[in-house]
Amino acid sequence: MNKFITLVLLFFLCNPQSIISQEKNTTSVLNREMIDISKQFPSDIFFKKAVLFFLEKNWDSTLVYSQKQILTSQTKPLLDYSKFLRVYSFTQKKVFKEAEKEYSLISKNFKLYNLAKTYLGVLALEQRQFKKAITYFEDVIDLPEREYELIKKSSIIHNLGLCYLHLKKIPQAEFYLIKSIKIKEQQKDTLALIGTYGNVASLYYEQYKDALAIPYFEKAYLLAKKTNDFDLKRKATKNMAVVEENRKNYKKALVYRKEMEQWKDSLNDQNKIWEVAKLEKEFAVKEKQKEVNILQVENKLKETQRNLFLYSAAGLFILLGIGTYFYREKVKANKTIALQKENLDALNSTKDKLFSIVSHDLRSSVNALKRSNVTLLDNLASKNIDAIGTLLHKNSAIVNGAYNLLNYALLQTKQSYFNITSMSLFFITEQVAYNYKPLLLEKTIHFENTVSKSSLINADQESLKIILRNLLDNAIKFSKQNGTIKVYSQNNSPEYCDLVIEDTGFGMNEATRLKLLETNFTLSKKEHEEVIGTGLGIQLCKSMIKKNNGKFSIKSELGKGTKMIVSLPKTQDNG
Amino acid sequence: MDNINVFIIEDTASESDALVKVLTANNYNITGIATNFKDALNLFYNIKVDIVIIDIFLNGTPDGISFAETINAVPNASKPFVFLTSSTDRKIFERAKLTQPFSYLMKPFNELEILYAIEMAVEKFFTQENVFLSEEEDTVISSEYLFIKKGKSLKKVLITDIVYIDVEEKYCNIITENEKFVILISLTKILQLLDNSNFQRTHRNFIVNTKHIKEIVPADNLILLTGGYKATLSERYKDIIKKVRTLK
Repeated sequence: MNKFITLVLLFFLCNPQSIISQEKNTTSVLNREMIDISKQFPSDIFFKKAVLFFLEKNWDSTLVYSQKQILTSQTKPLLDYSKFLRVYSFTQKKVFKEAEKEYSLISKNFKLYNLAKTYLGVLALEQRQFKKAITYFEDVIDLPEREYELIKKSSIIHNLGLCYLHLKKIPQAEFYLIKSIKIKEQQKDTLALIGTYGNVASLYYEQYKDALAIPYFEKAYLLAKKTNDFDLKRKATKNMAVVEENRKNYKKALVYRKEMEQWKDSLNDQNKIWEVAKLEKEFAVKEKQKEVNILQVENKLKETQRNLFLYSAAGLFILLGIGTYFYREKVKANKTIALQKENLDALNSTKDKLFSIVSHDLRSSVNALKRSNVTLLDNLASKNIDAIGTLLHKNSAIVNGAYNLLNYALLQTKQSYFNITSMSLFFITEQVAYNYKPLLLEKTIHFENTVSKSSLINADQESLKIILRNLLDNAIKFSKQNGTIKVYSQNNSPEYCDLVIEDTGFGMNEATRLKLLETNFTLSKKEHEEVIGTGLGIQLCKSMIKKNNGKFSIKSELGKGTKMIVSLPKTQDNG
Repeated sequence: MDNINVFIIEDTASESDALVKVLTANNYNITGIATNFKDALNLFYNIKVDIVIIDIFLNGTPDGISFAETINAVPNASKPFVFLTSSTDRKIFERAKLTQPFSYLMKPFNELEILYAIEMAVEKFFTQENVFLSEEEDTVISSEYLFIKKGKSLKKVLITDIVYIDVEEKYCNIITENEKFVILISLTKILQLLDNSNFQRTHRNFIVNTKHIKEIVPADNLILLTGGYKATLSERYKDIIKKVRTLK
């Protein structure tokens, strides 16, 4: 009987093989399934990690994360998956009780429920809890065809047979094992077939049904011969040897024994080869490690070089940026300088022009004064009083011209005080006209100021006086003896007060009038050398009226007289 | 009616001579002429001054402005003043403008211009503008004097000398112990500007200086005043009796 026990044990060792081969197939399908599921729920990080560790076959970590997933997550579909992962991991760790517990928690509708059951069955078988194994296996034996995608039916049948064999329930064992053989013969699963033949043979052999058993042993032996698995060969040969021994056919038994020894040696050789291969592998790994180290060093070197390059590039870039910035600043500064230069040039040219005008006109007036003084002295010597009076008036006109020049210069340089205030037009006119009283008297010109005393205008006092002085001066200059000059205000618009200086003098033609109103000032050649400032006075008036926000117009008829009209803004709040 | 006292600060003799000539001709009293900042300050506090005419540039420096700034800074010491200048330099003007009230006159000037400038200075100083230019009024009231335009020039009357004022439509007859004259001013303005602790209305047309009241005769609706003047006391204003200190 001892012999038989050894035989039986021998065949149990074949069992896992068949299951593993079944598993390999399943694992890839299962792996894919798990990956798909974890992709469907990207937010469940614990499940993702559990699947990751499951793929890496790190069962402890799989257990930890699947447990975390069960405890923390609300995602229901993942609950069963997590539990399945736990069953799987416990099965792999051969902790039957825990696996069973987890399994009991899986809902029966779960897709992988039956697979879990199968795993439990296999584990129970391995743990020699045959009855339990049988209950698990019998549950999965009669499932609809589609369920066998992940479960190998033949293996289950085989395992059931094994269980019954161990429980000495020979008829059931025989039934399942023969069925298993039939399926495997159909599938041509040689390795599993050898194991199953062995099992069936030992089944019969144990019942002393040698006639039935021996063909199976022989079948197993013949099949084993074709394979490259030395261990299987050895076991099959050993079985044959035992069979022959029991038949007292020692000669044959010896042959089988020798063959078995041979296979054993081969197995040992193979083991040695494997060891050598392992050593070689280790050596290769070491070599690889060295290579890796070298590469790492190289990488470090490269990294350093790259960093150096990066830093220098960054440095250069910054330098370029700074350079560009300063270049731009410089360009800007240059532009500003150019602009300033232009302005300065313009100002300088104005100044030069001004100087030329001033020097020319000033020289003219000084010369005029000199000549006048000489004449004055002559007249004084001859006591010609009338002529002296005329000369003095002429002198005052010359001085007035010089003033205009000065004011014009001041206006150009914008250095003069200018402050617009409210004032009475009547009184300003009175004050300005006061200086001309003697001149008016001398020319017997009738003068009247009928400006409304209530008209208040906004203007700068000094510039308004200059304007009035010039206009009055002109009016007197171009008036005939016994003429009339009227100064009056016109209230034509709500914003402006018109001041009209009207004379009955020579008047002017349209061409002269338009020329006077032209804005660009050109030094005209003096027609009468002793009366300077022709043109300048009116230009000054126009500039100053403009500065006082006023308007200027001329109405004139040749031979009848001229109206100079100055419109100035009224003081609004005084109505 | 007294002449106005003018204090001239001017460093050029010919200029100050011209000024003196013009102003004297228009019945102004020239009470002092200073040629520098120090003398100006000394004189200013020691002579009678109603108006100051200040040349901005004294010996080449704008000490005239400094003087104005100094008298401006002392409370109750300041008087109306006019700046005289021949320069229109903007910077100088900006500084001078800070001495409020600011009025100025450009050299060369004629008689009308200086008289006008003085009037403007008085108006601005007592913040009663457009009085002398208008045809409706001719009097500016300060706390001490009435400044009245007479012809081309200004005159002044000491307010405490006024015995009573007789209002006649747009005119007011001012009666002092020695004089009687008419000024152009509205009743509301005169009531508003005179010190009402001394001046009381006694009738629709009478404003009386209580200091000059000698006797009140309620029975006859009469008030007897110094200088033998009499004013009417109407029913409406009889409260005046309570305000006047009377013998019991």
